[in-house]
Amino acid sequence: MVGSVAGPLAPTRTPEETVEERGDLDRPWVTIVWNDPVNLMTYVTYVLQELFGYDEPTATTLMLQVHQEGRAIVSSGPRERMEHDTSRLHAYGLWASFQRDS
Amino acid sequence: MKPFRRRGEELVARLEPAEARIVALLLDQLEQLLTAEADDVAGDPVVTRLLPSGHRSDPELAADYRGMTESALRSGKADDLATVRASLPPDGGPLRLDPDQAVAWLRTSNDLRLALGTRLDIQEDTEPPEDLSTEEGQQLAVYYWLTGLQGSLVDALAAGRADRR
Repeated sequence: MVGSVAGPLAPTRTPEETVEERGDLDRPWVTIVWNDPVNLMTYVTYVLQELFGYDEPTATTLMLQVHQEGRAIVSSGPRERMEHDTSRLHAYGLWASFQRDS
Repeated sequence: MKPFRRRGEELVARLEPAEARIVALLLDQLEQLLTAEADDVAGDPVVTRLLPSGHRSDPELAADYRGMTESALRSGKADDLATVRASLPPDGGPLRLDPDQAVAWLRTSNDLRLALGTRLDIQEDTEPPEDLSTEEGQQLAVYYWLTGLQGSLVDALAAGRADRR
């Protein structure tokens, strides 16, 4: 569910170094925002626009996915970049984590 | 409280004296939590929420992430807190913020709501309090007051961004 909806929305960043076909090594990493009962919907939308440059409809769609489905992938790419994205979301108090795409 | 609105480049609101004192008190409490010795706040759900894990299932990746990011996260929060404290009118009155100060208020008011919301076990269907005579009722009222303040700041900032495009 997450993949089918977030796939087209999440920016597909190409890893800087192409990893050879080695099982899951070439699966990208993703940054996920999880639903929480405190953060305002308007705030989550604002932060996604601010940090990732999404236009308002895209940020709103991702925010609603977080709210309704419990989580949304907000970016994908190499691990280091996902760690960086996670830390930027944490600075704004969003409940975020990174992981290998599943 | 008069909620935030945009005036030119500035974000302007007005706080009652009691409201300004509550914000100052909450800032002190937040600062204490963030500067406490790690052992003293180990397992505190508020600290866990403010400095969350970066990876949910791999302790090694989570520890790596914490090692790389936690001190910057803490110092960012300390900087925001200092900015908010310096711009807060101690006895209430007009609150005028430039864009940088506004972002510090945005993040810190969110941290205060996260801290209170975690302490009060706020859920999505939690209602504003009807009984203000209890300690919990009063804390819940403060939480909802902060929600209104932060909500108006988000709206004013979002409207300003829409205007620029």
